[in-house]
Amino acid sequence: MDAQLKRGLLDVCVLAAIKDEESYGYKIIKDVRPYIEMSESTLYTILKRLELANMLTVRTSEHDGRLRKYYRITKAGLGRIEDFKDEWREITSIYGFVMKGGSKQ
Amino acid sequence: MTKREFLKALKKKLSHLPRQEANERLTFYGEMIDDRIEDGLSENDTVAQIGSADEIAAQILSEEGAKAKPKSQRNGVMIALLVLGAPIWFSLLVAAFSVVISLYVTLWALVAVVWATFAALCASAVGCVVVGLVIAVSGRVAAGIALFGAALLCAGLAIFLFYGCKAATRGVLALTKKLTQKLFKGGKAA
Repeated sequence: MDAQLKRGLLDVCVLAAIKDEESYGYKIIKDVRPYIEMSESTLYTILKRLELANMLTVRTSEHDGRLRKYYRITKAGLGRIEDFKDEWREITSIYGFVMKGGSKQ
Repeated sequence: MTKREFLKALKKKLSHLPRQEANERLTFYGEMIDDRIEDGLSENDTVAQIGSADEIAAQILSEEGAKAKPKSQRNGVMIALLVLGAPIWFSLLVAAFSVVISLYVTLWALVAVVWATFAALCASAVGCVVVGLVIAVSGRVAAGIALFGAALLCAGLAIFLFYGCKAATRGVLALTKKLTQKLFKGGKAA
């Protein structure tokens, strides 16, 4: 997929992965993997960026004798998902235009 | 590669980052590895899946590198070079500038010479007329006429030279205009 396009989508994907309940790093990657490939480095950057934008919160908790970070979505994060849903209508109409455009010639 | 080896290698690659950030990333990767192992992967397979420490460090560097750091480093080096080299390039600049100025002044000096010659011829013509008149009146008509002739010659040369003066002056002025236009246009375009 085009790198620029992917970058915009990954943020929302990560938010969607933590939409219903809090999650942790590896689980997010696993949940998103059937739809889009994401490396650890990419996830790290996205999580940092979303945290800075107050779209998620982080807490550290003990699990099996080691520490694990859990990410939970915020209201702003949910708002971003809603925005994406609105954008999607625009995107589908643009997609229709692109697909149609060729036949006009 | 074991988890510990991987983390050690990664730590070394991230040594240029601020300590807190490097530690955060190391914790993150450590956690990732543990999670995968818990999922059932072997330690070696897990580390292989995540990618080599080099790859990850390169990814991080390409993200960080896009930010301000390299540019400010580059500017610093440029400024240092300019300052250190100042004695050389500045003196060369002054020398070049002086040469240009002297050439320009010489051109105008030449124009001045032509005008001066013209003025001298005019003066000579007038002088010859006056002296010729005096001599003719005092009785030596032939000498007087000769001087009139000389006066005419001077006048003729003066008229001839006048056009030369005008042409020379106009020429140097045009050259000046062209040069200053080039200088300022070049400045504007840059």
